[in-house]
Amino acid sequence: MSGSRSKSFVLWTLVTIALITLSAPTVVVLGASFTGGNIITFPPDGLSLRWYARISQASDLRNAFLRTLQVATVCTIVAIPVGTLAGIALAKYAVRFEKTIQIYLLLPFTIPLIGSGIGLMLIFGKAGILGQLWPVGIACCVINLPFMIWAVTASATGLDPDLELAAANCGAPPLQVFFSVTLPAVMPGVITGSLLMFILALNEFLVSLLLVDARIVTLPVLIYNSIRSIITPDLAAISVVFIACSAVAIFLLDRLVGLDIFLKSK
Amino acid sequence: MRAARTAYPLKWRIMDALEGVAAAIWPARFKRATPYLMLLPAVLLVGLLVLGLIQIADASLRTLDTTTFQFSDDYSIANFRRALTEPLFLVVAQRSLIAALIVTAVTLIFAFPYAYLMVRTRSPRLRKFLLIALFLPFFIGQVVRAYGWLIILGNQGMVNEALGLVGVAPMRLIYNYPAVLFGLVQYMLPFAVLMLAPALTAIPEELEAAAGSLGANWVRIFIHVVLPLARPGFIGAGVVVLTLSLTDFAVPAILGGGSQDFIANAIYDQFFRTSDQGLGATLALMLVALGSILVGLVFALFGAGTLAMGRSRA
Repeated sequence: MSGSRSKSFVLWTLVTIALITLSAPTVVVLGASFTGGNIITFPPDGLSLRWYARISQASDLRNAFLRTLQVATVCTIVAIPVGTLAGIALAKYAVRFEKTIQIYLLLPFTIPLIGSGIGLMLIFGKAGILGQLWPVGIACCVINLPFMIWAVTASATGLDPDLELAAANCGAPPLQVFFSVTLPAVMPGVITGSLLMFILALNEFLVSLLLVDARIVTLPVLIYNSIRSIITPDLAAISVVFIACSAVAIFLLDRLVGLDIFLKSK
Repeated sequence: MRAARTAYPLKWRIMDALEGVAAAIWPARFKRATPYLMLLPAVLLVGLLVLGLIQIADASLRTLDTTTFQFSDDYSIANFRRALTEPLFLVVAQRSLIAALIVTAVTLIFAFPYAYLMVRTRSPRLRKFLLIALFLPFFIGQVVRAYGWLIILGNQGMVNEALGLVGVAPMRLIYNYPAVLFGLVQYMLPFAVLMLAPALTAIPEELEAAAGSLGANWVRIFIHVVLPLARPGFIGAGVVVLTLSLTDFAVPAILGGGSQDFIANAIYDQFFRTSDQGLGATLALMLVALGSILVGLVFALFGAGTLAMGRSRA
Protein backbone atom coordinates (compact mmCIF):
# COMPACT_ATOMS: atom_id res chain seq x y z
CA MET A 1 0.00 0.00 0.00
CA SER A 2 1.36 3.36 -0.96
CA GLY A 3 0.54 6.47 0.94
CA SER A 4 1.54 8.70 3.74
CA ARG A 5 1.77 8.10 7.44
CA SER A 6 -1.45 10.02 8.08
CA LYS A 7 -3.28 7.70 5.69
CA SER A 8 -2.28 4.55 7.49
CA PHE A 9 -2.98 6.22 10.82
CA VAL A 10 -6.56 7.07 9.84
CA LEU A 11 -7.14 3.68 8.19
CA TRP A 12 -5.74 1.71 11.09
CA THR A 13 -7.66 3.72 13.70
CA LEU A 14 -10.97 2.97 11.98
CA VAL A 15 -10.06 -0.66 11.31
CA THR A 16 -8.98 -1.18 14.92
CA ILE A 17 -12.28 0.16 16.20
CA ALA A 18 -14.09 -2.13 13.75
CA LEU A 19 -11.99 -5.13 14.81
CA ILE A 20 -12.66 -4.55 18.51
CA THR A 21 -16.38 -4.11 17.87
CA LEU A 22 -16.52 -7.23 15.72
CA SER A 23 -14.62 -9.46 18.12
CA ALA A 24 -15.70 -8.21 21.55
CA PRO A 25 -18.92 -10.30 21.90
CA THR A 26 -17.20 -13.49 20.75
CA VAL A 27 -14.23 -13.04 23.07
CA VAL A 28 -16.45 -12.14 26.01
CA VAL A 29 -18.83 -15.07 25.50
CA LEU A 30 -15.86 -17.42 25.28
CA GLY A 31 -14.32 -15.96 28.44
CA ALA A 32 -17.59 -15.95 30.36
CA SER A 33 -18.20 -19.63 29.61
CA PHE A 34 -15.07 -20.59 31.56
CA THR A 35 -15.92 -18.60 34.67
CA GLY A 36 -15.92 -20.33 38.04
CA GLY A 37 -18.58 -18.13 39.64
CA ASN A 38 -22.35 -18.29 39.54
CA ILE A 39 -22.74 -15.00 37.79
CA ILE A 40 -20.47 -13.31 35.32
CA THR A 41 -18.26 -10.80 37.05
CA PHE A 42 -15.29 -8.74 36.13
CA PRO A 43 -12.59 -9.70 36.96
CA PRO A 44 -13.73 -13.36 36.65
CA ASP A 45 -13.94 -15.71 39.64
CA GLY A 46 -11.30 -18.10 38.40
CA LEU A 47 -11.45 -20.66 35.63
CA SER A 48 -13.58 -23.77 35.50
CA LEU A 49 -15.35 -26.06 33.11
CA ARG A 50 -18.35 -26.50 35.42
CA TRP A 51 -20.77 -24.74 33.06
CA TYR A 52 -19.79 -27.09 30.27
CA ALA A 53 -20.43 -30.02 32.61
CA ARG A 54 -23.79 -28.44 33.46
CA ILE A 55 -24.92 -27.99 29.85
CA SER A 56 -23.74 -31.45 28.81
CA GLN A 57 -26.23 -32.80 31.39
CA ALA A 58 -29.13 -30.70 30.19
CA SER A 59 -31.22 -32.75 27.79
CA ASP A 60 -33.36 -29.82 26.64
CA LEU A 61 -30.27 -28.03 25.38
CA ARG A 62 -28.94 -31.12 23.67
CA ASN A 63 -32.29 -31.77 22.00
CA ALA A 64 -32.57 -28.16 20.89
CA PHE A 65 -29.12 -28.39 19.37
CA LEU A 66 -29.94 -31.65 17.57
CA ARG A 67 -33.13 -30.08 16.21
CA THR A 68 -31.14 -27.09 14.98
CA LEU A 69 -28.72 -29.44 13.20
CA GLN A 70 -31.68 -31.20 11.63
CA VAL A 71 -33.11 -27.90 10.35
CA ALA A 72 -29.75 -26.88 8.90
CA THR A 73 -29.36 -30.29 7.23
CA VAL A 74 -32.78 -30.15 5.58
CA CYS A 75 -32.03 -26.61 4.43
CA THR A 76 -28.69 -27.57 2.88
CA ILE A 77 -29.94 -30.76 1.24
CA VAL A 78 -32.74 -28.84 -0.47
CA ALA A 79 -30.57 -25.85 -1.36
CA ILE A 80 -27.76 -27.77 -3.06
CA PRO A 81 -29.68 -29.14 -6.08
CA VAL A 82 -32.12 -26.23 -6.33
CA GLY A 83 -29.49 -23.50 -6.09
CA THR A 84 -26.90 -25.29 -8.21
CA LEU A 85 -29.29 -25.89 -11.11
CA ALA A 86 -30.65 -22.35 -10.98
CA GLY A 87 -27.17 -20.87 -10.71
CA ILE A 88 -25.86 -22.84 -13.70
CA ALA A 89 -28.95 -21.97 -15.74
CA LEU A 90 -28.54 -18.25 -15.01
CA ALA A 91 -24.81 -18.24 -15.65
CA LYS A 92 -24.71 -20.40 -18.77
CA TYR A 93 -27.80 -19.81 -20.83
CA ALA A 94 -29.40 -16.77 -22.36
CA VAL A 95 -32.79 -17.12 -20.70
CA ARG A 96 -35.83 -15.15 -21.77
CA PHE A 97 -37.03 -12.65 -19.17
CA GLU A 98 -33.63 -13.01 -17.50
CA LYS A 99 -33.95 -9.68 -15.66
CA THR A 100 -37.41 -10.57 -14.36
CA ILE A 101 -36.29 -14.00 -13.19
CA GLN A 102 -33.30 -12.46 -11.43
CA ILE A 103 -35.44 -9.91 -9.62
CA TYR A 104 -37.89 -12.67 -8.71
CA LEU A 105 -35.12 -14.90 -7.35
CA LEU A 106 -33.85 -11.97 -5.25
CA LEU A 107 -37.25 -11.73 -3.50
CA PRO A 108 -35.99 -13.60 -0.41
CA PHE A 109 -33.58 -10.71 0.14
CA THR A 110 -35.92 -7.86 -0.69
CA ILE A 111 -38.86 -9.11 1.37
CA PRO A 112 -38.07 -8.35 5.02
CA LEU A 113 -37.49 -11.47 7.12
CA ILE A 114 -40.45 -10.74 9.35
CA GLY A 115 -42.66 -10.59 6.23
CA SER A 116 -41.27 -13.84 4.80
CA GLY A 117 -41.51 -15.54 8.17
CA ILE A 118 -45.12 -14.51 8.79
CA GLY A 119 -46.13 -15.40 5.24
CA LEU A 120 -44.60 -18.86 5.58
CA MET A 121 -46.19 -19.25 9.00
CA LEU A 122 -49.61 -18.52 7.50
CA ILE A 123 -49.25 -20.93 4.56
CA PHE A 124 -47.63 -23.69 6.64
CA GLY A 125 -50.45 -23.22 9.12
CA LYS A 126 -53.03 -23.62 6.35
CA ALA A 127 -51.23 -26.71 5.09
CA GLY A 128 -51.28 -28.15 8.62
CA ILE A 129 -47.54 -28.75 8.77
CA LEU A 130 -46.72 -26.19 11.45
CA GLY A 131 -45.11 -27.82 14.46
CA GLN A 132 -42.82 -30.06 12.43
CA LEU A 133 -39.14 -29.49 11.87
CA TRP A 134 -38.72 -29.95 8.12
CA PRO A 135 -40.84 -26.92 7.19
CA VAL A 136 -38.45 -24.81 9.28
CA GLY A 137 -35.59 -26.19 7.18
CA ILE A 138 -37.46 -25.37 3.96
CA ALA A 139 -38.13 -21.87 5.27
CA CYS A 140 -34.44 -21.32 6.07
CA CYS A 141 -33.63 -22.57 2.58
CA VAL A 142 -36.04 -20.15 0.88
CA ILE A 143 -34.89 -17.05 2.73
CA ASN A 144 -31.18 -17.71 2.06
CA LEU A 145 -31.44 -19.24 -1.42
CA PRO A 146 -29.90 -16.21 -3.22
CA PHE A 147 -26.62 -16.90 -1.36
CA MET A 148 -26.48 -20.37 -2.94
CA ILE A 149 -27.35 -19.09 -6.43
CA TRP A 150 -24.80 -16.28 -6.12
CA ALA A 151 -22.02 -18.63 -5.11
CA VAL A 152 -22.74 -20.95 -8.04
CA THR A 153 -23.10 -18.21 -10.68
CA ALA A 154 -19.85 -16.65 -9.48
CA SER A 155 -17.91 -19.85 -10.12
CA ALA A 156 -19.84 -20.79 -13.27
CA THR A 157 -18.36 -17.82 -15.11
CA GLY A 158 -15.09 -19.77 -15.07
CA LEU A 159 -16.75 -22.62 -16.97
CA ASP A 160 -15.78 -22.67 -20.65
CA PRO A 161 -18.79 -23.82 -22.71
CA ASP A 162 -16.38 -25.32 -25.25
CA LEU A 163 -15.42 -27.94 -22.67
CA GLU A 164 -18.98 -29.22 -22.51
CA LEU A 165 -19.21 -29.24 -26.31
CA ALA A 166 -15.92 -31.13 -26.49
CA ALA A 167 -17.22 -33.76 -24.06
CA ALA A 168 -20.42 -34.12 -26.06
CA ASN A 169 -18.36 -34.36 -29.24
CA CYS A 170 -16.46 -37.25 -27.72
CA GLY A 171 -19.75 -39.04 -27.25
CA ALA A 172 -20.75 -38.13 -23.70
CA PRO A 173 -24.53 -38.07 -23.25
CA PRO A 174 -26.08 -35.01 -21.51
CA LEU A 175 -26.08 -36.34 -17.93
CA GLN A 176 -22.48 -37.43 -18.21
CA VAL A 177 -21.48 -34.02 -19.54
CA PHE A 178 -23.23 -32.47 -16.56
CA PHE A 179 -21.63 -34.72 -13.95
CA SER A 180 -18.11 -34.90 -15.35
CA VAL A 181 -17.65 -31.43 -16.83
CA THR A 182 -20.22 -28.87 -15.66
CA LEU A 183 -20.56 -29.90 -12.02
CA PRO A 184 -16.81 -30.16 -11.25
CA ALA A 185 -16.31 -26.71 -12.78
CA VAL A 186 -18.82 -25.07 -10.42
CA MET A 187 -17.84 -27.18 -7.40
CA PRO A 188 -16.11 -24.33 -5.49
CA GLY A 189 -19.37 -22.37 -5.73
CA VAL A 190 -21.43 -25.35 -4.61
CA ILE A 191 -19.16 -25.87 -1.58
CA THR A 192 -19.17 -22.19 -0.64
CA GLY A 193 -22.92 -21.95 -1.09
CA SER A 194 -23.76 -25.06 0.90
CA LEU A 195 -21.48 -24.06 3.78
CA LEU A 196 -23.15 -20.64 3.85
CA MET A 197 -26.61 -22.20 3.76
CA PHE A 198 -25.79 -24.62 6.56
CA ILE A 199 -24.27 -22.05 8.90
CA LEU A 200 -26.98 -19.46 8.23
CA ALA A 201 -29.71 -22.03 8.90
CA LEU A 202 -27.91 -23.08 12.09
CA ASN A 203 -28.06 -19.47 13.30
CA GLU A 204 -31.45 -18.53 11.91
CA PHE A 205 -33.46 -16.89 14.63
CA LEU A 206 -36.46 -14.84 13.55
CA VAL A 207 -37.96 -17.31 11.07
CA SER A 208 -37.40 -20.14 13.56
CA LEU A 209 -39.05 -18.07 16.28
CA LEU A 210 -42.15 -17.69 14.10
CA LEU A 211 -42.33 -21.31 12.94
CA VAL A 212 -41.49 -23.35 16.04
CA ASP A 213 -43.59 -24.01 19.10
CA ALA A 214 -42.44 -24.96 22.60
CA ARG A 215 -42.03 -28.64 21.67
CA ILE A 216 -39.64 -28.13 18.77
CA VAL A 217 -37.76 -25.03 19.85
CA THR A 218 -34.38 -24.54 18.13
CA LEU A 219 -31.21 -23.50 19.91
CA PRO A 220 -31.09 -19.79 18.90
CA VAL A 221 -34.73 -19.43 19.99
CA LEU A 222 -34.01 -21.27 23.23
CA ILE A 223 -31.12 -18.92 23.99
CA TYR A 224 -33.28 -15.91 23.17
CA ASN A 225 -36.04 -17.16 25.46
CA SER A 226 -33.55 -17.77 28.28
CA ILE A 227 -31.94 -14.33 28.19
CA ARG A 228 -32.93 -12.59 31.41
CA SER A 229 -31.62 -9.52 33.08
CA ILE A 230 -29.47 -11.67 35.38
CA ILE A 231 -26.69 -13.05 33.23
CA THR A 232 -25.70 -16.62 34.04
CA PRO A 233 -22.70 -18.35 32.46
CA ASP A 234 -24.57 -21.46 31.27
CA LEU A 235 -25.96 -19.48 28.33
CA ALA A 236 -22.42 -18.43 27.48
CA ALA A 237 -21.35 -22.05 27.49
CA ILE A 238 -24.12 -23.01 25.02
CA SER A 239 -23.27 -20.05 22.86
CA VAL A 240 -19.76 -21.44 22.51
CA VAL A 241 -21.34 -24.22 20.43
CA PHE A 242 -22.13 -21.59 17.81
CA ILE A 243 -18.66 -20.09 18.03
CA ALA A 244 -17.18 -23.57 17.49
CA CYS A 245 -19.46 -24.26 14.51
CA SER A 246 -18.53 -20.90 13.05
CA ALA A 247 -14.83 -21.62 13.43
CA VAL A 248 -15.22 -25.04 11.78
CA ALA A 249 -17.15 -23.51 8.88
CA ILE A 250 -14.46 -20.85 8.34
CA PHE A 251 -11.74 -23.50 8.48
CA LEU A 252 -13.54 -25.65 5.90
CA LEU A 253 -14.24 -22.68 3.68
CA ASP A 254 -10.61 -21.65 3.77
CA ARG A 255 -9.32 -25.18 3.16
CA LEU A 256 -11.75 -26.18 0.42
CA VAL A 257 -12.09 -22.99 -1.62
CA GLY A 258 -10.04 -20.27 0.08
CA LEU A 259 -11.53 -17.27 1.87
CA ASP A 260 -10.09 -14.98 -0.81
CA ILE A 261 -12.94 -15.80 -3.20
CA PHE A 262 -15.06 -13.28 -1.31
CA LEU A 263 -12.65 -10.55 -2.39
CA LYS A 264 -12.78 -11.38 -6.08
CA SER A 265 -14.45 -8.86 -8.31
CA LYS A 266 -17.02 -10.63 -10.40
CA MET B 1 -18.74 -63.36 -19.86
CA ARG B 2 -16.41 -62.36 -17.12
CA ALA B 3 -14.18 -60.35 -19.39
CA ALA B 4 -17.17 -58.48 -20.69
CA ARG B 5 -18.22 -57.50 -17.19
CA THR B 6 -14.86 -55.96 -16.30
CA ALA B 7 -14.83 -54.17 -19.60
CA TYR B 8 -18.16 -52.56 -18.80
CA PRO B 9 -18.18 -51.66 -15.09
CA LEU B 10 -21.24 -51.26 -12.95
CA LYS B 11 -20.87 -47.48 -12.79
CA TRP B 12 -21.25 -47.26 -16.54
CA ARG B 13 -24.34 -49.42 -16.48
CA ILE B 14 -25.93 -47.16 -13.89
CA MET B 15 -25.03 -44.07 -15.89
CA ASP B 16 -26.45 -45.67 -19.03
CA ALA B 17 -29.68 -46.49 -17.24
CA LEU B 18 -29.90 -42.92 -15.91
CA GLU B 19 -29.19 -41.48 -19.34
CA GLY B 20 -31.94 -43.69 -20.72
CA VAL B 21 -34.43 -42.51 -18.12
CA ALA B 22 -33.41 -38.89 -18.66
CA ALA B 23 -33.75 -39.21 -22.42
CA ALA B 24 -37.17 -40.84 -22.03
CA ILE B 25 -38.66 -38.11 -19.81
CA TRP B 26 -36.75 -35.20 -21.32
CA PRO B 27 -36.04 -35.93 -25.01
CA ALA B 28 -33.39 -33.97 -26.89
CA ARG B 29 -36.00 -31.92 -28.73
CA PHE B 30 -36.90 -30.25 -25.42
CA LYS B 31 -33.32 -29.03 -25.22
CA ARG B 32 -34.20 -25.38 -25.59
CA ALA B 33 -36.42 -25.59 -22.52
CA THR B 34 -33.69 -27.14 -20.37
CA PRO B 35 -32.60 -23.87 -18.66
CA TYR B 36 -36.21 -23.26 -17.64
CA LEU B 37 -36.44 -26.77 -16.22
CA MET B 38 -33.27 -26.06 -14.23
CA LEU B 39 -34.74 -22.81 -12.90
CA LEU B 40 -38.09 -24.37 -12.04
CA PRO B 41 -37.28 -25.71 -8.53
CA ALA B 42 -35.87 -22.34 -7.43
CA VAL B 43 -38.85 -20.50 -8.90
CA LEU B 44 -41.26 -22.83 -7.08
CA LEU B 45 -39.39 -22.54 -3.80
CA VAL B 46 -39.38 -18.73 -3.93
CA GLY B 47 -43.04 -19.04 -4.94
CA LEU B 48 -43.70 -20.01 -1.30
CA LEU B 49 -42.85 -16.43 -0.36
CA VAL B 50 -45.23 -15.06 -2.97
CA LEU B 51 -47.99 -17.33 -1.62
CA GLY B 52 -47.11 -16.06 1.85
CA LEU B 53 -47.42 -12.45 0.73
CA ILE B 54 -50.83 -13.22 -0.77
CA GLN B 55 -51.91 -14.72 2.56
CA ILE B 56 -50.65 -11.62 4.37
CA ALA B 57 -52.53 -9.37 1.96
CA ASP B 58 -55.68 -11.41 2.52
CA ALA B 59 -55.33 -11.27 6.29
CA SER B 60 -54.65 -7.54 6.23
CA LEU B 61 -58.09 -6.85 4.79
CA ARG B 62 -59.95 -8.67 7.56
CA THR B 63 -60.71 -6.89 10.80
CA LEU B 64 -60.80 -8.44 14.23
CA ASP B 65 -64.12 -8.39 16.05
CA THR B 66 -63.02 -7.75 19.63
CA THR B 67 -66.20 -9.20 21.14
CA THR B 68 -66.10 -12.61 19.43
CA PHE B 69 -62.37 -12.71 18.51
CA GLN B 70 -63.38 -13.75 15.00
CA PHE B 71 -62.05 -12.26 11.78
CA SER B 72 -64.53 -10.68 9.40
CA ASP B 73 -65.43 -12.52 6.19
CA ASP B 74 -65.69 -9.39 4.14
CA TYR B 75 -62.83 -7.13 3.23
CA SER B 76 -62.28 -3.62 4.56
CA ILE B 77 -59.40 -1.22 4.76
CA ALA B 78 -60.00 -0.49 8.43
CA ASN B 79 -56.67 -2.05 9.42
CA PHE B 80 -54.77 0.25 7.09
CA ARG B 81 -56.58 3.26 8.53
CA ARG B 82 -55.63 2.18 12.05
CA ALA B 83 -52.01 1.50 11.07
CA LEU B 84 -51.68 4.97 9.58
CA THR B 85 -53.44 6.91 12.29
CA GLU B 86 -52.38 5.30 15.56
CA PRO B 87 -49.51 7.36 16.96
CA LEU B 88 -47.73 4.28 18.36
CA PHE B 89 -47.04 2.88 14.91
CA LEU B 90 -45.89 6.25 13.65
CA VAL B 91 -43.38 6.49 16.49
CA VAL B 92 -42.13 2.96 15.82
CA ALA B 93 -41.84 3.55 12.07
CA GLN B 94 -39.98 6.80 12.61
CA ARG B 95 -37.62 5.18 15.11
CA SER B 96 -36.82 2.32 12.70
CA LEU B 97 -36.31 4.59 9.69
CA ILE B 98 -34.01 7.01 11.48
CA ALA B 99 -32.08 4.09 12.95
CA ALA B 100 -31.70 2.48 9.52
CA LEU B 101 -30.28 5.70 8.06
CA ILE B 102 -27.84 6.31 10.93
CA VAL B 103 -26.73 2.66 10.98
CA THR B 104 -26.16 2.67 7.22
CA ALA B 105 -24.02 5.81 7.36
CA VAL B 106 -21.94 4.66 10.34
CA THR B 107 -21.52 1.13 8.99
CA LEU B 108 -20.28 2.36 5.61
CA ILE B 109 -17.79 4.72 7.30
CA PHE B 110 -16.23 1.79 9.16
CA ALA B 111 -16.69 -0.83 6.43
CA PHE B 112 -14.83 1.14 3.76
CA PRO B 113 -11.42 1.33 5.48
CA TYR B 114 -11.77 -2.31 6.55
CA ALA B 115 -12.48 -3.48 3.01
CA TYR B 116 -9.81 -1.17 1.59
CA LEU B 117 -7.12 -2.44 3.92
CA MET B 118 -8.18 -6.05 3.34
CA VAL B 119 -8.04 -5.70 -0.44
CA ARG B 120 -4.91 -3.53 -0.70
CA THR B 121 -2.64 -5.03 1.95
CA ARG B 122 0.48 -6.73 0.64
CA SER B 123 0.53 -9.19 3.54
CA PRO B 124 -1.49 -12.38 2.94
CA ARG B 125 -1.41 -12.98 6.70
CA LEU B 126 -3.08 -9.68 7.52
CA ARG B 127 -5.66 -10.31 4.79
CA LYS B 128 -6.52 -13.70 6.20
CA PHE B 129 -6.69 -12.31 9.73
CA LEU B 130 -9.09 -9.56 8.63
CA LEU B 131 -11.21 -12.10 6.74
CA ILE B 132 -11.45 -14.44 9.72
CA ALA B 133 -12.23 -11.57 12.11
CA LEU B 134 -15.05 -10.69 9.71
CA PHE B 135 -16.48 -14.16 9.17
CA LEU B 136 -16.38 -15.33 12.77
CA PRO B 137 -19.07 -12.91 14.01
CA PHE B 138 -20.92 -13.19 10.67
CA PHE B 139 -21.31 -16.93 11.23
CA ILE B 140 -22.22 -16.72 14.92
CA GLY B 141 -25.68 -15.28 14.61
CA GLN B 142 -27.48 -12.34 16.06
CA VAL B 143 -28.73 -13.81 19.30
CA VAL B 144 -25.34 -14.92 20.55
CA ARG B 145 -23.73 -11.63 19.54
CA ALA B 146 -26.43 -9.61 21.27
CA TYR B 147 -25.96 -11.82 24.32
CA GLY B 148 -22.24 -10.97 24.24
CA TRP B 149 -23.13 -7.28 24.33
CA LEU B 150 -25.42 -7.90 27.31
CA ILE B 151 -22.49 -9.42 29.18
CA ILE B 152 -20.33 -6.41 28.34
CA LEU B 153 -22.80 -3.56 28.68
CA GLY B 154 -25.50 -4.94 30.99
CA ASN B 155 -26.38 -3.37 34.32
CA GLN B 156 -24.21 -5.97 36.06
CA GLY B 157 -22.03 -6.26 32.98
CA MET B 158 -18.30 -6.04 32.61
CA VAL B 159 -18.10 -2.32 31.90
CA ASN B 160 -20.18 -1.43 34.92
CA GLU B 161 -18.23 -3.84 37.15
CA ALA B 162 -14.98 -2.33 35.94
CA LEU B 163 -16.29 1.18 36.52
CA GLY B 164 -17.37 0.09 39.99
CA LEU B 165 -13.79 -0.89 40.78
CA VAL B 166 -12.66 2.69 40.22
CA GLY B 167 -15.61 4.05 42.15
CA VAL B 168 -17.93 5.14 39.34
CA ALA B 169 -21.63 4.43 39.89
CA PRO B 170 -23.20 1.92 37.45
CA MET B 171 -24.58 3.42 34.29
CA ARG B 172 -27.45 2.29 32.14
CA LEU B 173 -25.71 1.27 28.94
CA ILE B 174 -28.35 -0.98 27.40
CA TYR B 175 -32.10 -0.82 26.82
CA ASN B 176 -31.71 2.52 25.07
CA TYR B 177 -31.59 3.78 21.49
CA PRO B 178 -27.79 4.13 21.17
CA ALA B 179 -27.32 0.54 22.36
CA VAL B 180 -29.63 -0.71 19.61
CA LEU B 181 -27.84 1.41 17.00
CA PHE B 182 -24.49 0.13 18.19
CA GLY B 183 -25.64 -3.50 18.10
CA LEU B 184 -26.99 -3.02 14.60
CA VAL B 185 -23.76 -1.48 13.32
CA GLN B 186 -21.82 -4.44 14.69
CA TYR B 187 -24.29 -6.85 13.10
CA MET B 188 -24.14 -5.10 9.70
CA LEU B 189 -20.37 -4.58 9.40
CA PRO B 190 -19.57 -8.00 7.85
CA PHE B 191 -22.36 -7.63 5.29
CA ALA B 192 -21.14 -4.18 4.28
CA VAL B 193 -17.47 -5.18 4.03
CA LEU B 194 -18.31 -8.26 1.95
CA MET B 195 -20.39 -6.16 -0.46
CA LEU B 196 -17.69 -3.47 -0.72
CA ALA B 197 -14.64 -5.69 -1.15
CA PRO B 198 -15.32 -6.97 -4.71
CA ALA B 199 -15.93 -3.41 -5.90
CA LEU B 200 -12.59 -2.29 -4.42
CA THR B 201 -10.77 -5.28 -5.95
CA ALA B 202 -12.01 -4.11 -9.34
CA ILE B 203 -10.21 -0.75 -8.99
CA PRO B 204 -6.70 -1.02 -10.45
CA GLU B 205 -4.09 0.05 -7.94
CA GLU B 206 -2.20 1.82 -10.74
CA LEU B 207 -4.96 4.43 -10.86
CA GLU B 208 -4.14 5.46 -7.31
CA ALA B 209 -0.44 5.47 -8.08
CA ALA B 210 -1.08 7.61 -11.16
CA ALA B 211 -3.13 10.11 -9.20
CA GLY B 212 -0.41 10.17 -6.57
CA SER B 213 2.33 10.77 -9.11
CA LEU B 214 0.37 13.72 -10.43
CA GLY B 215 0.55 15.26 -6.99
CA ALA B 216 -2.73 14.29 -5.32
CA ASN B 217 -2.45 13.44 -1.63
CA TRP B 218 -4.25 10.39 -0.29
CA VAL B 219 -7.37 12.30 0.78
CA ARG B 220 -7.81 13.66 -2.75
CA ILE B 221 -7.10 10.23 -4.26
CA PHE B 222 -9.84 8.75 -2.09
CA ILE B 223 -12.34 11.48 -2.89
CA HIS B 224 -11.66 11.71 -6.63
CA VAL B 225 -10.59 8.19 -7.59
CA VAL B 226 -11.36 5.43 -5.10
CA LEU B 227 -14.75 6.47 -3.73
CA PRO B 228 -16.35 7.22 -7.14
CA LEU B 229 -15.08 3.95 -8.60
CA ALA B 230 -16.27 2.01 -5.56
CA ARG B 231 -19.82 3.25 -6.12
CA PRO B 232 -21.32 -0.15 -7.07
CA GLY B 233 -19.99 -1.52 -3.80
CA PHE B 234 -21.41 1.36 -1.78
CA ILE B 235 -24.80 0.88 -3.43
CA GLY B 236 -24.82 -2.85 -2.76
CA ALA B 237 -23.65 -2.44 0.81
CA GLY B 238 -25.93 0.53 1.44
CA VAL B 239 -29.06 -1.25 0.22
CA VAL B 240 -28.33 -4.39 2.22
CA VAL B 241 -27.56 -2.53 5.44
CA LEU B 242 -30.48 -0.14 5.06
CA THR B 243 -33.10 -2.84 4.52
CA LEU B 244 -31.69 -5.32 7.03
CA SER B 245 -31.47 -2.76 9.83
CA LEU B 246 -34.86 -1.24 9.01
CA THR B 247 -36.49 -4.64 9.38
CA ASP B 248 -34.41 -6.12 12.18
CA PHE B 249 -36.04 -7.87 15.11
CA ALA B 250 -33.44 -9.46 17.38
CA VAL B 251 -31.21 -6.48 18.15
CA PRO B 252 -34.03 -4.09 19.15
CA ALA B 253 -35.65 -6.92 21.13
CA ILE B 254 -32.53 -7.94 23.07
CA LEU B 255 -30.59 -4.68 23.38
CA GLY B 256 -33.68 -2.48 23.43
CA GLY B 257 -35.36 -4.53 26.14
CA GLY B 258 -38.88 -3.82 24.89
CA SER B 259 -38.55 -0.06 25.10
CA GLN B 260 -37.00 0.43 21.65
CA ASP B 261 -39.30 -1.60 19.39
CA PHE B 262 -38.78 -1.49 15.64
CA ILE B 263 -41.44 -2.24 13.02
CA ALA B 264 -40.67 -5.97 13.07
CA ASN B 265 -41.20 -6.09 16.85
CA ALA B 266 -44.51 -4.26 16.50
CA ILE B 267 -45.62 -6.81 13.90
CA TYR B 268 -44.58 -9.71 16.13
CA ASP B 269 -46.51 -8.21 19.05
CA GLN B 270 -49.65 -7.87 16.94
CA PHE B 271 -49.48 -11.55 16.03
CA PHE B 272 -48.41 -13.08 19.32
CA ARG B 273 -49.36 -10.66 22.10
CA THR B 274 -52.45 -8.81 20.91
CA SER B 275 -53.46 -11.65 18.56
CA ASP B 276 -54.73 -9.15 16.02
CA GLN B 277 -53.55 -11.00 12.95
CA GLY B 278 -55.25 -8.55 10.60
CA LEU B 279 -53.45 -5.51 11.95
CA GLY B 280 -50.17 -7.43 12.15
CA ALA B 281 -50.53 -8.49 8.52
CA THR B 282 -51.28 -4.90 7.56
CA LEU B 283 -48.10 -3.67 9.24
CA ALA B 284 -46.10 -6.48 7.62
CA LEU B 285 -47.45 -5.58 4.20
CA MET B 286 -46.61 -1.92 4.73
CA LEU B 287 -43.08 -2.85 5.82
CA VAL B 288 -42.63 -4.97 2.67
CA ALA B 289 -43.84 -2.01 0.61
CA LEU B 290 -41.58 0.44 2.44
CA GLY B 291 -38.56 -1.84 1.96
CA SER B 292 -39.32 -2.37 -1.72
CA ILE B 293 -39.79 1.35 -2.30
CA LEU B 294 -36.45 2.10 -0.65
CA VAL B 295 -34.63 -0.60 -2.66
CA GLY B 296 -36.38 0.45 -5.87
CA LEU B 297 -35.51 4.08 -5.24
CA VAL B 298 -31.83 3.31 -4.73
CA PHE B 299 -31.74 1.03 -7.79
CA ALA B 300 -33.54 3.60 -9.93
CA LEU B 301 -31.16 6.36 -8.85
CA PHE B 302 -27.88 4.44 -8.83
CA GLY B 303 -28.35 1.00 -10.46
CA ALA B 304 -28.08 -2.41 -8.80
CA GLY B 305 -24.37 -2.17 -7.90
CA THR B 306 -22.77 -5.35 -6.63
CA LEU B 307 -26.19 -6.87 -5.96
CA ALA B 308 -26.70 -7.97 -9.57
CA MET B 309 -26.78 -11.72 -10.08
CA GLY B 310 -26.11 -13.85 -13.12
CA ARG B 311 -24.20 -13.47 -16.37
CA SER B 312 -23.57 -10.09 -17.88
CA ARG B 313 -22.62 -7.25 -15.65
CA ALA B 314 -22.52 -3.95 -17.42
